[in-house]
Amino acid sequence: MNFLSLLSVEYKKIKRSKIFLILFAAAFILWIPSIINSDLNFHMETEGISPENNFFIQGFMAMSWFMFPASIVVVTVLLNQTERADNGIIKMLSLPASTVKLSLAKFIVMLSLAAAQILILTGAYYASAAIVSVIQDYNFILPPLFVAKETGIIFLSALPMTAFFWMVSVCIQTPVFSVGTGMASIVPSVLLINTKAWFAYPMSYPLFVVSSEYGKLAANLETAQPELIPWLPVAVVITIICLVISCSCFGWAARR
Amino acid sequence: MNICLEYKKVKRTGFIQLFLCGAILAAVVPVVNMVFRTEMYTSIHNTPVQILLGANWQLMAMFNVLVIVTGTCLLYHIEYDNNSIQKLKSLPITESQVFLGKAALSVIMYMSVLVIEAGAVIFCSCHWFVTGDGFWKELCQNFIYSFIMGLPCIALSLLVSEACKNMWMSFGIGVVCVFTALILPEKPFFLSLFPFAMPFKMLAGTKHVINYIYASAAWIAVTSLAELLLIKIRRSFE
Repeated sequence: MNFLSLLSVEYKKIKRSKIFLILFAAAFILWIPSIINSDLNFHMETEGISPENNFFIQGFMAMSWFMFPASIVVVTVLLNQTERADNGIIKMLSLPASTVKLSLAKFIVMLSLAAAQILILTGAYYASAAIVSVIQDYNFILPPLFVAKETGIIFLSALPMTAFFWMVSVCIQTPVFSVGTGMASIVPSVLLINTKAWFAYPMSYPLFVVSSEYGKLAANLETAQPELIPWLPVAVVITIICLVISCSCFGWAARR
Repeated sequence: MNICLEYKKVKRTGFIQLFLCGAILAAVVPVVNMVFRTEMYTSIHNTPVQILLGANWQLMAMFNVLVIVTGTCLLYHIEYDNNSIQKLKSLPITESQVFLGKAALSVIMYMSVLVIEAGAVIFCSCHWFVTGDGFWKELCQNFIYSFIMGLPCIALSLLVSEACKNMWMSFGIGVVCVFTALILPEKPFFLSLFPFAMPFKMLAGTKHVINYIYASAAWIAVTSLAELLLIKIRRSFE
């Protein structure tokens, strides 16, 4: 079986899973308080950030701290449970395809759902920015190129984190522990972005990227900027290690 | 009786360990914070309990809520997994009793989590601060209040996991609810009564303490009613 047909099988499996409901709900809930409190964007003199930039960055900061990583954990639960129910994993492993390809196909599905979440979020951002522009009679809509660049960076920075969560869900068989480990690893990221060792912790990358952008947009605020040299090699190594472990351990409990 | 049965069911699922690990992680928060920022906190003029909870409770409550959401998901996941819920329904026991048993187990676990966290607060207070006369009273009041604030969250997330057949669906809804609680603005007042936002409330600094306690009782009543309704409605469709 080639990789593309494996991928299409994976998409078929989650076709009726209603995962998009969760992704849409998160995007919807995120922007409602921002719309209601939109007048606060005009009182950011101490930070020195323009209202439209503040509206954009606050929303994405809230998202990248908790909801974005947490929804990736939810996706791992979805991908795992579709196989574990009725021992689907045994049928899957008996297919004429290598386990490495099977594992990678699932990882690609995870990535595409993460990308879908960012796209939904960006769409919701434009809708809410348009609404706020009408309410406040001020243009809140940022140029698409800038927004696309920012969201693209957030997505790329989430790659090592996604690989880590996939490894955790493959290696830890007890669902409650794999979910618990994933969720527990999200919480400290808010503390770790303020330390010098942030680049060693993949869960803090998206939040770090957004908060450093906040520092760039706000004239009176100094935030740490990402230095590509320790960060990029470390991120690549973490991603590769996580993917190698998850590919080699995929279905290990069923194969014993 | 029910609790014993429920305990036996979850004994080997990691449920107990999940709560204990969550509690230990939450308990580590104030200790680590005190180790690294000793001078900053010891220079504040306030009671030790208020300083410690004021500085750390948001993060500790976050662990508590995540543990509750994950744990309650698991409680019903083990029933839906391999269709054991059908065998459960054939037993001489109502579904509401099962719900009650699971709720009682979660409440006991939440209580143990709070006891461990209180232990960490006691350790920090004795080690870095001078505990005054009213220390124990204040500590008990704060943690009893946190306990009451956690009950609606337990009830509602258990109801969600009963309603959803798939674990990821109930977990996803739980995660979205936690996220909502995190970004909800403080005002207007009724928004802070969202069940998943209530465990983040502290006794110190809260203005409408009695209102929150009433709200907690009201949420438990509403959830119980909703649970009865859910069973009735679902049965009519099966």
